[in-house]
Amino acid sequence: MSSTVLDYSKEIPVVEGVPSASQLDETIVKPINDFPQRNWFIGLAITGTMLGIGGLSLAWLLYKGVGIWGINQPVAWGFDVVNFVFWVGIGHAGTLISAILFLLRQKWRTGIARFAEAMTLFAVLCAVQFVIFHTGRPWLAMAWLFPYPNQHGVWVNFTSPLEWDVFAVNTYFTVSAVFWYIGLIPDFASLRDRATTTIKKTIFAVLSLGWRFSNRHWQHYERAYLIMAGFATPLVLSVHTIVSFDFAVSIIPGWHTTIFPPYFVAGAIFSGFAMVQNVLIITRKAFKFEHLITMDTIEKMNKIMLVTGTMVGYAYIMEFFIAWYSGNATELFVFINRATGPYWWAYWTMMTCNLIAPQLFWSKKVRTSLLASFILAIFVNIGMWFERFVIIVTSLHRDFLPSSWGMFVPTMWDFGLLIGSFGLFFTLVLLFVKFLPAIAMAEIKAVVPGAQPSHHGNGASH
Amino acid sequence: MDTPKNTNESKYWKSLRAYHNDPAAADAKVREFAKDVTGEFDVDSLSGMSRKQFLALVSASAAFAAAGCTNYRDKGEIVPYNRKPEEITLGKANYYASTITENGQEYGVLIKTREGRPIKIDGNPDHPINKGKVSARGQASILNLYDPERLKQPMMVESGILSATEWADVDAKMTAALADAAKNGKEIAIVAHTVTSPSAKAVLNAFTAKYPTAKLYTYELVSELNRAAAWNRSTGGSTFPLIAWNEANVILALESDFLGYEGNIAEQTRLYTERRNVNNAKSISRLYSADGTMSSTAMNADYRLRVRPDQQLEFVLALISEFKGNSGAAKQFAAKAGISATEVQQLVKDLGANKGKSIVHAGNGLPESVHVAVNVLNDILGNSALYNRAQSAVVHEALTSMAEFEALVGRMNSGVVGVVIHFDANPLFHFSPELGYADAVKKVATVVTMSEQQTETTAASTVVLPINHDYESWGDHQTRTGIISLQQPVIAPLYATRQKEAVLLTWSAGAAAYKETIYHEFIMKRWENDVFPAMKASVDFKTFWYSALHDGVVTFAQAAAPVPSVKADALNGIAAANSGDGYVLYLHDNYFVGDGRYANNGWLQEMPHPASKIAWDNYAALSVATAKELGAEEGTMIEVTVGGRSMKLPVHLQPGLADKLVAVQLGYGRTVCGTVGTGAGFNAQQLLAKSGGYLYTGVQVSKTSDTYLLASTQEHHDLDDTFLKDLHKKRDIIHEGTVIQYLEDPKFLEKEHHATTIIPKVTYDGVKWAMAIDLNKCTGCGVCTLSCNVENNIPVVGKEQLHKGREMTWIRIDRYFSGSSDAPSVSNQPMLCQHCDNAPCENVCPVIATTHSPDGLNQMAYNRCVGTKYCSNNCPYKVRRFNFFDFRDNFADGVQYEQPLNMLHNPEVTVRSRGVMEKCTFCVQRIMEGRQHAIEEGTTFTGAGITVACQDACPADAIVFGNMNDKNSDIYKYRHHEIGYHVLEELNVAPNVTYVAKLRNVESHTENA
Repeated sequence: MSSTVLDYSKEIPVVEGVPSASQLDETIVKPINDFPQRNWFIGLAITGTMLGIGGLSLAWLLYKGVGIWGINQPVAWGFDVVNFVFWVGIGHAGTLISAILFLLRQKWRTGIARFAEAMTLFAVLCAVQFVIFHTGRPWLAMAWLFPYPNQHGVWVNFTSPLEWDVFAVNTYFTVSAVFWYIGLIPDFASLRDRATTTIKKTIFAVLSLGWRFSNRHWQHYERAYLIMAGFATPLVLSVHTIVSFDFAVSIIPGWHTTIFPPYFVAGAIFSGFAMVQNVLIITRKAFKFEHLITMDTIEKMNKIMLVTGTMVGYAYIMEFFIAWYSGNATELFVFINRATGPYWWAYWTMMTCNLIAPQLFWSKKVRTSLLASFILAIFVNIGMWFERFVIIVTSLHRDFLPSSWGMFVPTMWDFGLLIGSFGLFFTLVLLFVKFLPAIAMAEIKAVVPGAQPSHHGNGASH
Repeated sequence: MDTPKNTNESKYWKSLRAYHNDPAAADAKVREFAKDVTGEFDVDSLSGMSRKQFLALVSASAAFAAAGCTNYRDKGEIVPYNRKPEEITLGKANYYASTITENGQEYGVLIKTREGRPIKIDGNPDHPINKGKVSARGQASILNLYDPERLKQPMMVESGILSATEWADVDAKMTAALADAAKNGKEIAIVAHTVTSPSAKAVLNAFTAKYPTAKLYTYELVSELNRAAAWNRSTGGSTFPLIAWNEANVILALESDFLGYEGNIAEQTRLYTERRNVNNAKSISRLYSADGTMSSTAMNADYRLRVRPDQQLEFVLALISEFKGNSGAAKQFAAKAGISATEVQQLVKDLGANKGKSIVHAGNGLPESVHVAVNVLNDILGNSALYNRAQSAVVHEALTSMAEFEALVGRMNSGVVGVVIHFDANPLFHFSPELGYADAVKKVATVVTMSEQQTETTAASTVVLPINHDYESWGDHQTRTGIISLQQPVIAPLYATRQKEAVLLTWSAGAAAYKETIYHEFIMKRWENDVFPAMKASVDFKTFWYSALHDGVVTFAQAAAPVPSVKADALNGIAAANSGDGYVLYLHDNYFVGDGRYANNGWLQEMPHPASKIAWDNYAALSVATAKELGAEEGTMIEVTVGGRSMKLPVHLQPGLADKLVAVQLGYGRTVCGTVGTGAGFNAQQLLAKSGGYLYTGVQVSKTSDTYLLASTQEHHDLDDTFLKDLHKKRDIIHEGTVIQYLEDPKFLEKEHHATTIIPKVTYDGVKWAMAIDLNKCTGCGVCTLSCNVENNIPVVGKEQLHKGREMTWIRIDRYFSGSSDAPSVSNQPMLCQHCDNAPCENVCPVIATTHSPDGLNQMAYNRCVGTKYCSNNCPYKVRRFNFFDFRDNFADGVQYEQPLNMLHNPEVTVRSRGVMEKCTFCVQRIMEGRQHAIEEGTTFTGAGITVACQDACPADAIVFGNMNDKNSDIYKYRHHEIGYHVLEELNVAPNVTYVAKLRNVESHTENA
């Protein structure tokens, strides 16, 4: 292969080929209209089982108490908070793709935005359950974490980062849900118009809020979408910043670090993209969306993972450097202990998966390989889960007083809820791809080659 | 316009009719409901009953209905104090003086009762021996009283099955059996522990007078037999002298844990720590410990010499030789034993320089020969000056030798023993299996066991008699000349139990003689006739008796036993023998479960060993080098064989333990016990020889492939790991100095720490609570923890949860090793909530469940806590405790929820349930009581007189608590002490617990030399 000169004047098409509007609609609604394939049911059976395991673990948790987990003194947070941070992180890709990339006029996002947004919502739901159930008395936590006027005269503590979390996560979920819904309105209308049964028609009619594809509707829609994108954009940065405050505001060495906010946000985007990548590659294949979600999109996602992965890698190393440079012996101890102490394996899993593995994306061959993209994304997901494990567990298990040191050993119930959260996530994903358009039908039409007026005339080429 | 005149004075009207004063409206006004609406429910026809009366009636009928529906057994007793006893005020505690005994020691106690139930026990401040302090077991003994698994009624074997019976039946059958045995000349053996009570002795005498074939045998699992025998051999005296520990400038403890498990701990700790007073640094005594087992005393020693128990004789002989003019003998020994020659030289120098002002003391477990040599050494050094001549121990009944027990077993086997009475003793657990006692008992027709709980011995008995707990008993106890302690019940027996003395008294007086007060009257009569006249009191007996009961103790003039001088030929026949190359086994007492009698006491089981921090188990302690040699790791099971007796034990690698030594605690491994104690630990009594003795040489040890989990409250680290080494010193957790350093520069510590901050300090103008802990005095005994457990309703979590790191104790003793694993130096530090002014736990709680009080307390609102555990994570001291479960329910099938354990709880302290965080409150309930009192009295509350539970219990008075704004208080002095410091000061959390740095009395200017 001879070296090709990249032609930057030429946009890489977002949609391959020149499918007609009706072809696009057909492709996208096919999974909704058709009776699901056998594979879908197999998938649902698997995720349903996982969800069941989670349900069982949750029931036992509520019956017995958080003692069924491996947490203790000093490691009072274990898988519960690891999973929470992990899932909130996963949730970041969606809004980034749909809002920030939208504002930056990144058209390649169109094919994956809907999907990524849905994943955001599901991931935040997964995260929220851990916020509630990590507490000793979840039945009270559910209510008492919210500031509401009451006769007891008690109030929440606005100096607690956990309280900030409550607001950050709630805001994020609400805004993401509204944003997602606004985007869905024209598609709901299309579905309504295509529906063959009264029930479907009624449901979609209600959901489409009387959308008639009028010019005015489109105008309002575009405006609302833009405003919501503007709203959602700061949230991408704020949510994980605030989650990082849970740690950064504390006084525990290994937590008490100013680098946490940017590092957490980068990590969140990193893990979010990896999760989107994984789910995307499967969906794209299963529903024959290859021409709508092109290899170019996948490659771009890989590039973002390379960037954010290197950013977190930089943070890992910088943390270490600062621990030494600060002259704080306790902090240095915590970092050396991370790398060489009893949890060295977790640290090096994290380093390998998050820093070293994504470096393979420097190679275009790897970047454009479906299999490599899929495997490396899994690596990143594992790595990012371990990152949270390393931060939480290794900082707590050997803190200030050597007398109170201890080990965290997860129990089957820890794993039960972790599996359950994946079950919940993927069950929701499966239901989503079956019942809602996985690609924004209305938007994708606008990025088909030739869809926009152009001085080059109607066509993909110049 | 003719408008109707408005006569309505009211400004407001409901309708036009009302406005116009329509009579119907006026009528309706007084009725709540219109006539037709209520129908038959006519307001006027209702009775004149007031709303209040109605409500009272409704609630009363509801209460009656509820009461009527339940099948409550104690009908009629559920309403407390229908007629209130005169001395009881609801909500106010009453205190009664009494006495408890353990292992031949007496402790005068004050028992706190609330509404008639004992809830807390502390030492009786008026008691001359223990002066307001009590042992760890004493603190926790209240749990035994309420143990749901106590024996509740007498049982007798009928057609081969032990079945419940009535006391009257027991009395009738037993008096017949005893008379029968006496008539047929069959022996009646009474097996008991040390008799501390003169009245009990009189009961036993009466019993043997009635049944002439009766014979009394007494023993202890770990006894002072060797010491007594050695004293007799060296001087011809019968009772070895008491020691004035507080007068010793130099103490050399030879395998003696006088600060841990030997003797009267409360008294010895007090006397020892009197001379560890940092405010009188010049007179700080110096403690040498020559031991192999790393005991509590060894951990507190200024110089610790690692001498294996079998080398002790050689060591003492070398010292004797040294002082007899053979200079260099001690050095030779040091070279041979591999201990520091400089330290031995220092010891020789100190002993020589402090003649008559030092004491050498050998441990209970060492053989007689060592004790003889020690007596001689003390004599040479003129240390007999420190023997207490004004007071001596009182022995009512000398302990029976093992040879006599062997003879008893022989007689049992040959059928000449008709009845055995186990007088609150559990010999089947205590005696070496080699003795064959268990088999011999089977050949005795009537085996009576009096016990509070089921034991190995009750399981082999034909008659099992439940006896009263100490708090339900009458008694008088005398272990010292001139002091008799009185014991009075503070609660009626909870079950159909009798006092053990009353049982024997009944049997000697005839079955019909029993009445509830039989022993009470016996004691009073004995006092009136025998004791009272000799005291020559100026009041009548009744007055004397009640004031004695009130005080709990009577002191009177009584001559002490003379202290004879040591015989010149005492050392004849005593020479050090080579113990060979094999392993050495040393069996010694434990710190908490006693002779197994406290095995079912979860609080005591859960107390970690002071050195190993292992709870719920005993183990084979090995030195790190020896374990390496054996290829054993922590928890590896090893097989220990000595003289044909063998058992498997898990290994614990104990820094500081002597090489080639296997040290095992006795008293663990109960097999017939309650749910708490059964299976906790290993029965090391199996390794005892039938001839007695605790030190064995020529022991074989082999590694097995099995492992066992030892649960510990502190992680074990390799002391040689440079990464983990000495962190407690590097991190400003432990500050230490030497006495010399302090005398030269009292402010040496201030140079070490400088915390500056830009954050403004919060000022507290009124009362501000603070605590100081003097690490010079703290011996790490753990009594504070137990006292706190009782005061603050701390649950038992069990071994599994302890292993997971979920112990619930609010105050713990942190133990740090520094130096090498062969010669570690130990620092103890009680750690509890520091009540920081800038508490990091407070700002992170999302629901404001933990807050700061205006008097400086870090408070916990359990009701508000949702259990995020964030506070615990952010606590640098990790002193917060989380209820991961409802621990009372979770542990041992919820035994802690069984009746009558609910009576144990301090009613002033919330019982926490699952999902909430808790921690030390500085005994806020006591503070509030004091404050309330001040308000009632109309006085200003200065905080004077408020004490916390750990402080009350500390035998060393190492804990000081009070209002730091009160310049006259002790706490003010300690708070501003020159060598006071805060742990992790650099974090600027501003703790309110001040630690006074430990000064080691070594010949050095810095602690590290």
